[in-house]
Amino acid sequence: MTPFTVIGGFLGAGKTTLLNRLLRADTGRRFAVLVNDFGALDIDSRLVVAHGGDTIALANGCLCCTIGDSLVTTILALLEQPDRFDHIVVEASGVADPGRIADLAVLDQRLARDGVIVVVDAGSVRERSADRRVGDTVTRQLAAADLLLLNKTDLADDLPPLRGWLSTQSPAPVLEARHADVAIDLLFGLPRLGGAAPADAPDAFASWSYEWAEPVERGIVLGMLRTAGVLRAKGIVRFIDSPARRSVIHQVGNRLDIVDDEPWRESETSRLVLLGLKPTLGMLGSLQRE
Amino acid sequence: MSTVVYPARRFLTMNPNRPSVTHVAVRDGRILGAGSLEELRGWGKFDLDERFADKVILPGFVEGHSHAYEGGVWKFPYVGYFDRVAPDGTRFKGLKNIDEVVARLQAHEKTLAPGASLLAWGFDPIYFGGRCMVLTDVDRISTGRPVVIVHSNFHVANANSVVLAKAGITRTTNVHGIVKDASGEPTGELQEMTAKYMAYRAAGMEIAAVLSDEQAVWRFAKVAQLAGVTTATDLHNELPESTVEGYLKASASDDFPIRLLPAFAAASVPPEQGIPRLQALMKKNNDRLRFQLVKIVTDGSIQGLSARMRWPGYYDGTPNGVWNVGPDDIDRILLSWHSAGFQVHIHTNGDEASEVAIEAVERALMAAPRWDHRHTLQHAQMADAGQFRRMKALGMCANLFANHLFYWGDIHYAKTLGPERAERMDACGTALATGVPFAIHCDAPVTPIGPLFTAWCAVNRLTASGRTLGEAERISVADALRAITLGAAYTLKLDEELGSIDVGKRADFAILDDDPLSVPPEKLKDIGVWGTVLGGKVFEAPKS
Ligand SMILES: [Zn+2]
Ligand SMILES: [Zn+2]
Repeated sequence: MTPFTVIGGFLGAGKTTLLNRLLRADTGRRFAVLVNDFGALDIDSRLVVAHGGDTIALANGCLCCTIGDSLVTTILALLEQPDRFDHIVVEASGVADPGRIADLAVLDQRLARDGVIVVVDAGSVRERSADRRVGDTVTRQLAAADLLLLNKTDLADDLPPLRGWLSTQSPAPVLEARHADVAIDLLFGLPRLGGAAPADAPDAFASWSYEWAEPVERGIVLGMLRTAGVLRAKGIVRFIDSPARRSVIHQVGNRLDIVDDEPWRESETSRLVLLGLKPTLGMLGSLQRE
Repeated sequence: MSTVVYPARRFLTMNPNRPSVTHVAVRDGRILGAGSLEELRGWGKFDLDERFADKVILPGFVEGHSHAYEGGVWKFPYVGYFDRVAPDGTRFKGLKNIDEVVARLQAHEKTLAPGASLLAWGFDPIYFGGRCMVLTDVDRISTGRPVVIVHSNFHVANANSVVLAKAGITRTTNVHGIVKDASGEPTGELQEMTAKYMAYRAAGMEIAAVLSDEQAVWRFAKVAQLAGVTTATDLHNELPESTVEGYLKASASDDFPIRLLPAFAAASVPPEQGIPRLQALMKKNNDRLRFQLVKIVTDGSIQGLSARMRWPGYYDGTPNGVWNVGPDDIDRILLSWHSAGFQVHIHTNGDEASEVAIEAVERALMAAPRWDHRHTLQHAQMADAGQFRRMKALGMCANLFANHLFYWGDIHYAKTLGPERAERMDACGTALATGVPFAIHCDAPVTPIGPLFTAWCAVNRLTASGRTLGEAERISVADALRAITLGAAYTLKLDEELGSIDVGKRADFAILDDDPLSVPPEKLKDIGVWGTVLGGKVFEAPKS
């Protein structure tokens, strides 16, 4: 299953800046990035290994495809060649509801819904949200977010009231950034279970991994996942209330999926990796040791 | 240089100097003269062709808003509520309940290869008194192959359990667009992007090609010709190479019965790329294919609950619709194409969308003044008198979706718009009174192509249930006939070349069995179309 991430946000919020960072990052994974317009991307031509009409292949293994008029057919065509990428990222148009696009991953078993990241322009979001023609579009986008990237914080006059207002629009955790400068792994996932903290993570972030030999209380795990500051989580856990099956945990921001999977294998141990704000994870660590 | 003179019961010319004549002379595919036989003799030797002697002839109809996709969908079985004529002239009886739909598709299913998907279109359950199609209905057609039945609005579909199983859709699937019954089970009804995704998945990606290949263009041209159309638009296309090739091949044939005008989907690529691309395509124009139009789609549809409406919004309280190209993006696209000299057609269904488009045109004109741009609002279904006055002042045109009055008028009255706004929707009367040049359209395949039917809608404004929706917005038969000929040609900047029967214009005619100005207005839609003439070449419609 290919992880499927949607990046939403109103025109000018910084979606393209974020995508440029993703395409340049050294993640060891091949992203297929579906964008509205190649022209807006800042791709070093020396890194382009092939340029078809609608697709650009980069030296680091990433692919860029233009969406053109139909997102649906673009995704389906891409899925015909699954060995070319490890993760799909879709740039929603500035007026689209990114949650609806993320729903497509639920309809196709080749895709795993990863998350909806909504980029917010700290300088203009409140004004836009009050506009009589686009206000509802903006607030729908905020409400659809699993994770908010509050961008251009240098342009906001006063951040605390903006943070307060954002929390009334969406329960999603908020990452703050300038020029969409944020650790890529925070947004696009943990490469593998038990992986270390992302190399490029700023000091404020950390990852924490857990292993349990015995079945775990569901409530304890849910408590950890729902602690403020946990931005991502991934795990395969044996719960006391469902010891016969693997419970697969996937969390992006405030969206948590726990899916019943195959039968539990006796050789396995429960594993969980959290990624988030350092102070929070420090606290979780002590909680776990109790 | 042979000349043919056609006598007819009469020609209705749309030329106010000679509104009605008995004879027309044609030479080299163009109209040499329109008048009496005596007058035409002055041009010299001619052959007299009397086959239309008892017919009434109009300028060939111009469909200003249709999609070649109409030809694509005829590859698949039609299961709509209303009768519909296929490209070969076969009349498909409308299906009046779900059992009839299932029975038609059960028969069709037997003709398919093993493993092939079954796709059908045109399904219209709004007339079934509230009974929806459910999984058990569709499973009666087949549980061995994927089945997808697309609704007439092209935004909703019903699937069978094979399709749901393949996608892993169950009662626990929580996705917008999956309809569930009272007990929480998916009914197989899928909406919007979900419907589109599942239809394309079930049918395979080949379907995109099948829907717009050369054969599809041919079927579209034939279905248009049957209705008396000689010029039609394919009003929103990204123009991929394969589609352009299909247009070029089809239109290269002398037997291709229409003049086709594709409109480039302006938002599909940045204008810096799109403009040179369309300019290059224009070099390939021929007598039957004309690249010149551009289209921007701003909002969704009223009945799809996705139109952008001004206050007070939807009558039933549904939240406002969605933007495709929103207020913050339209200027960038419009101004580029406007400055490059193109005429831009802007899809606006809701009145907020119309307002945004009108203001964008106003800004474009301030930034780059231009005369005779004729930027046209397509649909403009909710435009009110004030908006028409602004359109007039700015030199804009409107192409109104008159067919909506019949097909969805009852729903607009009761649910989406409420009485007052439903009664003034598709305001042909206001357009006429304000002096906004206008056409009326079908938006095929959303509704069938048939300009006489569209004119009937504008004249009578009757809904499917028989309600007269807005007496004051009715227009005369003569005005409606102008809207489907010269009026539509004007909105396409073709009015100097076609749209009326006048010296020097193209010999494009609609040949009718009866006189639209003599039959009672409520019979307008029932007039038989014998066929057409395109550039002097006669195309008789097959009889069903
Ligand atoms: Zn439209
Ligand atoms: Zn249309």
